[in-house]
Amino acid sequence: MAMTMKGEVALPADRETVWAKLNDAEVLKACIPGCQTLDKTSDTGFTAVVKLKVGPVGATFKGSVELTDLDPPNGYRISGQGEGGVAGFAKGGAQVSLSDLPDGAPGCLLSYSVEANVGGKIAQLGARLIDGVAKKTADQFFTNFAEAVKAG
Amino acid sequence: MSATGIGASVRRKEDFRFITGKGQYTDDVNRYGQAHAAFLRSPHAHADILRIDTAAALAMPGVVAIFTGDDLAADKIGGLICGWMIHSKDGEPMKAGSHPALAQGKVRYVGDHVAVVIADTLDQARDALEKINVEYAVLPANVATANATQPGAPVVHEVAPDNAVYRWAIGDEGATQAAFAKAAHVTKIDLVNNRLIPNPMEPRAAVGDYDSGNDAFTLYTTSQNPHVARLVLSAFIGIAPEHKLRVIAPDVGGGFGSKIFIYAEETVCVWAAKKVGRPVKWTSDRTEAFLSDAHGRDHVTHAEMALDAAGRILGLRVHTTANLGAYLSTFSSAVPTYLYAPLLSGQYAIPAIYCEVDGVYTNTAPVDAYRGAGRPEATFVIERLMEIAARETGQDPAAFRSKNFVTSFPHQTPVIMCYDAGDYPASLAKALDMADYANVPARKAESARKGLLRGVGISAYIEACGIAPSAAVGSLGAGVGLWESAEVRVNPVGTVEILTGSHSHGQGHETTFAQLVSERLGISIDNVSIIHGDTDKVQMGMGTYGSRSGAVGMSALSKALDKIETKAKKVAGFVLEASAEDIDFKDGKFSVRGTDKEIDFASVALQAYIAHKFNGQDLEPGLKESAFWDPTNFTFPAGVHICELEIDPATGVTRIDRWTAVDDFGVVINPMIVEGQVHGGIAQGVGQALHEGAVYDASGQLVTASYMDYSMPRASDLPAYQVGMTQTRCPSNPLGIKGCGEAGAIAAPPAVMNAITDAIGHEDIAMPATPLAVWRAIQKGAQRAAAE
Amino acid sequence: MATVSMTVNGKLVSRDIDPRTLLAQFLREELRLTGTHVGCDTTQCGCCTVHVDGKAMKSCTLLALGVDGSHITTIEGLAHGQELHPMQAAFRDHHGLQCGFCTPGMIMTAVDMVNRKGTNLDDQTIREELEGNICRCTGYHNIVKAVHYGAEAMAGTTKAAAE
Repeated sequence: MAMTMKGEVALPADRETVWAKLNDAEVLKACIPGCQTLDKTSDTGFTAVVKLKVGPVGATFKGSVELTDLDPPNGYRISGQGEGGVAGFAKGGAQVSLSDLPDGAPGCLLSYSVEANVGGKIAQLGARLIDGVAKKTADQFFTNFAEAVKAG
Repeated sequence: MSATGIGASVRRKEDFRFITGKGQYTDDVNRYGQAHAAFLRSPHAHADILRIDTAAALAMPGVVAIFTGDDLAADKIGGLICGWMIHSKDGEPMKAGSHPALAQGKVRYVGDHVAVVIADTLDQARDALEKINVEYAVLPANVATANATQPGAPVVHEVAPDNAVYRWAIGDEGATQAAFAKAAHVTKIDLVNNRLIPNPMEPRAAVGDYDSGNDAFTLYTTSQNPHVARLVLSAFIGIAPEHKLRVIAPDVGGGFGSKIFIYAEETVCVWAAKKVGRPVKWTSDRTEAFLSDAHGRDHVTHAEMALDAAGRILGLRVHTTANLGAYLSTFSSAVPTYLYAPLLSGQYAIPAIYCEVDGVYTNTAPVDAYRGAGRPEATFVIERLMEIAARETGQDPAAFRSKNFVTSFPHQTPVIMCYDAGDYPASLAKALDMADYANVPARKAESARKGLLRGVGISAYIEACGIAPSAAVGSLGAGVGLWESAEVRVNPVGTVEILTGSHSHGQGHETTFAQLVSERLGISIDNVSIIHGDTDKVQMGMGTYGSRSGAVGMSALSKALDKIETKAKKVAGFVLEASAEDIDFKDGKFSVRGTDKEIDFASVALQAYIAHKFNGQDLEPGLKESAFWDPTNFTFPAGVHICELEIDPATGVTRIDRWTAVDDFGVVINPMIVEGQVHGGIAQGVGQALHEGAVYDASGQLVTASYMDYSMPRASDLPAYQVGMTQTRCPSNPLGIKGCGEAGAIAAPPAVMNAITDAIGHEDIAMPATPLAVWRAIQKGAQRAAAE
Repeated sequence: MATVSMTVNGKLVSRDIDPRTLLAQFLREELRLTGTHVGCDTTQCGCCTVHVDGKAMKSCTLLALGVDGSHITTIEGLAHGQELHPMQAAFRDHHGLQCGFCTPGMIMTAVDMVNRKGTNLDDQTIREELEGNICRCTGYHNIVKAVHYGAEAMAGTTKAAAE
């Protein structure tokens, strides 16, 4: 089953700084909720292990993360897919773009548009909860990311 | 009528073990040294399997073996079969895609079987499942019934490039067109018959066992028809020859059709028992049941009815797209064809009927018979049309039905069936009376005063049961005959064992079959035991579905009892020194006509076995007879159900206020049990109308896969039912029985929907009519009214 | 492995079990008390209902270790030999069961209902109290009737016991 969501968050740093963080595996690892490992396999590829819980189904997803459409320092597309064994699968992507804040305010605006797809047990038992979990997970990521940017 | 004979509401003999927790269901069976199986199921609706890596899983603690489709193929284990050949209207045979028990190269629905882990414990097997790595190449999924055959739709099986299993038709197209050409009024409707998941409370289970000393297999399984399971597993799947395969279906916790079929899991368990040299047990969890039990219904239909100026039906034409899922299940092909369209005439004299059915593949679970199987779908079409036609032409729905009833028998419909007996006006009159139909307007006004919407819906259903005459089903494509068998073993002390090919999974055969024996032999039901569900004990039988156990199974028993009586009279003749022709048998006693010489049944049984009195005569010792009964026609139970309900327009919540059921089941063996069958059927029909619906999302994920999301009717959702009966004897079997198991599920959905549409004032609402759906329909009606 | 002890149907039992063993699993597999059925795994169908220290609970989502030291009554512990509990007898007398799979849970819930709500139960109360027990066969009509009469019969036995 598929879901989409959009959002934006104002960050207290300029685009170049944010861009660097968006490409820093350590930062991403710290910000992705439930991320156990995130290992660089190429300039734009990672392998990841993420723990995710949807309602009664908890699972460890193993998969890959790919960065594409790189347009420094304006944005990229981050996409990933993971297999959670009998729990099912999750895949999805987010278009992330950075722009200046209106009226020349300091910092920048990060906008994201996420589409995600899950299947197997996670969809069978967690269907009602999946939108909420996805939204919470995205919110959590960008809150963490904002913190990381703030911390410099 | 004796206290325990035909017509008595005898308390059930089987109940003691169930109420004390001593029932023996398949999951209660444990074999020494058994291992446990867990199935890896596809999380994708449609994907190529590129690679299955089991190495890590094999290294897990307790793992005995892991098998995939390649292992089954290497052992030449065949695929699962569909036993009913349907031909398209152009004469082409149906397109049956192969159906391996474990996927070979491709998965076609979420829940499809990819691999099996066998381990010492169930937890170990489930832990190991996590470690199997499968690489899939995900393909687009074909999910929606109505769009399955559209150009460009993903192809489920190469043999059916347009996803059509068949394009079948029945009836006279030309005559039907002519009827519509002269119609004064045509009523049209588009209907969806929602997809259901059967949900017997006992999940499916299987225990396979292999005896290497005798090279013989035993399979304990949750089956409604163990002999059919053995036949299919032997002759088609190739597990072992029939004499080397024993199938036992012990206590079975409900079936409703879903346990007729031969599934992948029991096939794998019995095969694997030999491979691993240990008994192998599998029990479905509820989500597996949702994913992989055969689903029911799932039709998209357009139907039209032509009327003359006097309100008589001239003709009916129907086009249905029936979703058969990803593979053809055991009897799936017959359900939306021969079990459906021949019932479209309902209780009415309709001169011309033409119906086309496209059976389609989709990337969803297989769809097969579920309580009623085709007949609820037909009744939904005809009874919604009747109601709407009455409303459109300003006629009272009851009077409109009356005007069109079949009133003389036999009645040949334009769609195969020949109705043999019935009295449709009688059941309608009784139902209207019991439902206090005359005072509906007053009750509607009373509800309106409280701000509630009251609606009343009638459903006059007919079904074809007692499935079925072998020659008839053979001519329609069935791969088997649908007779039934019975054996009567009289013990030397006069107690009786009945072996029947019918199977009881809630129907109460241990009581009703014993009642027939009690009636015929004049012995207490306590002295009768009913043995069923074990292919090593019971002669070949065809099992229980289609409300056939009474009409067909008990007819076989009746025939065997005839033979017992004939032979017992001969024995009694020797003992009483009279000719067998002069022996009367009544109330358990044999007497010589015109004398006071008599002997009771138990004494004759003893004499039959000690054989002192007829040694050297033309009579064999012993008292045991068997019979096979093959019906000459279907039976035609029919009746009228009336649903009266109240809707709160603020919330869309529907409350059923009254339910009246008047059914004609022919001769009734045990009214208590028959009423129970009616209650349960109504509950499932109300479930379909108000609560239940299987939902696949666009990617083919089943999002109603637990009781958290699939709404099963609870006690507080249902009313107390008023059940009445009328009776016309069925002329085509010796007992006059018609069958009662499916009536409620067939009658109920249109009764509910006719009542809801009556309450909300328009027809634009589909099942399940959940509070949200009803609320939306009310809003839509209000908007429409405002626009006009 | 962990050791768990509890009193089941009046007998003290103690076993070494995998800590994740559920109470339903423990009763069925360790003690072979197979009258407790598992119908859904998610605590909705009620087939697995047993009494834990006198209260109806669904054993399919309770860890056996979680009820260590408790008194458990299962369907097998309700009758005294051939003498049925009044609620069991009522289910038989009023045809409150067909396939029998949900029946043990229904009866355990019904007895608990009477213990909490008294012996004079109206139909609406019974229907609402059966919210957590699903039956697919009976349409509930005769279950409601059985609970009603079973409750009345329990009033008789409680009275008799008190006298």
